Amino acid sequence: MHNIFMKELRLSASILSYLFIAFAIMFFLPGYPILCGVFFVTLGIFQSFQNAREANDIVFSALLPIAKRDVVKGKFLFVCFIELCAFFLMALVTVIRMTIMSGSEVYRHNALMNANLFALGMALLIFGLFNLIFVGGFFRTAHKFAKPFVTYIIAAFLAIGAGEAAHHFPGLAPVNAFGFEHLGLQFALLATGAACYAMLTRISFGNACGNFENINL
Amino acid sequence: MRIVSVRNLIKEYPGFRLNEVSFDLEKGRIAGFIGRNGAGKTTTIKSMLNLIHPNGGEISYFGKPLIGNEAEIKSRIGYSTGTVNWYPRKSIREIADVTKRFYDTWDDNAYREYLQRFQLSENKTPLELSEGMKVKCNLLLALSHKAEMLILDEPTSGLDPFSRDELLELFTGLKQSGIAVFFSTHIISDIEKCADDIIYISEGKIMAAMPKTEFMQRFSMENETLEQTFLRLERGVEHA
Repeated sequence: MHNIFMKELRLSASILSYLFIAFAIMFFLPGYPILCGVFFVTLGIFQSFQNAREANDIVFSALLPIAKRDVVKGKFLFVCFIELCAFFLMALVTVIRMTIMSGSEVYRHNALMNANLFALGMALLIFGLFNLIFVGGFFRTAHKFAKPFVTYIIAAFLAIGAGEAAHHFPGLAPVNAFGFEHLGLQFALLATGAACYAMLTRISFGNACGNFENINL
Repeated sequence: MRIVSVRNLIKEYPGFRLNEVSFDLEKGRIAGFIGRNGAGKTTTIKSMLNLIHPNGGEISYFGKPLIGNEAEIKSRIGYSTGTVNWYPRKSIREIADVTKRFYDTWDDNAYREYLQRFQLSENKTPLELSEGMKVKCNLLLALSHKAEMLILDEPTSGLDPFSRDELLELFTGLKQSGIAVFFSTHIISDIEKCADDIIYISEGKIMAAMPKTEFMQRFSMENETLEQTFLRLERGVEHA
């Protein structure tokens, strides 16, 4: 498993996948839809899929002495690695905003969502949608990715819109908590996002393995 | 000694059917897989590599079915094509360094030896290589993990006569070291020059699978070259 993961990192990946992890720092931006940073991270991963297709990566991998399922596993490992790197960076920024910057006026007077545990949960949900819709969709053919990516863009921006606007709905103000306010609710929302991420990724991986076994390369 | 057995292989596409293809490949022999464009050569090879899913038939290597033993079998075979290049912007060094981790049998000394023999520079990328050198680059990877069987899809297409000749001589050298070489081509002189066995496919059906000498005895007319024989046979198929 280590070998196929290293192959993804060294041969298949686009440099943009690594560079776009830095978009996680957008969680610092005041007055900006911070969840767009999550979308940009996935855009970087998309570049690796494009790169891999141009380099005949899938056929090369399928010819290696590994099971076809492991080819799919390698791609998912890479995708999750990039997503989790970005997530930890977002978490770091969020902790800074929740502690030393919690009283900052530019963040307090912000019509859009605050960087808190709910935002991190939403980030995981969007990553999960990417894994389900785009990565799973890609493995239906192992070469077509326009339709899965456009579908993912629509789903991602609906989720971003819902996340950014949620606290304006009656009774939902606590989701936009500052500092350590509503910590129980905030942790529950983060845990829900993490559960969604794990579930969507697991479903997508299972479907991708099944589809990849049956397609003609 | 039989290394590969293909039995009743069927693959159906809209407008094309690979029709119960059967043949065997032997250790230390060169088998030329000949047929015109669209005859089913690449479909057969892709089936042999489990890249496509046949509608029927069985493929076994070293006495073991491909399905269920894919990883082990793929560690003992090598594949190359003249038409595809892997990771065009990565250096040969980087591609080899990643690839070798998948093979317990990888031999760094053999890698260095073939690198020198093929006059390949590790710092070059496949994008910088000529068509002939790309084939050699693929062969380098296959031979460095001591593949016992090479499956080559049109390795000589697009090569100049000198590079083709060089490659065919290399096949003969590999045969002498016990490696089985199976290569598809639509260039009859390639078969004439180095093949021990001929597998002739036309419109998805195996028309002949036998040693070259036997093929010529059975199908060639007096004073007819192999090329003339194939052309006559193909015209016969067209008119049938």
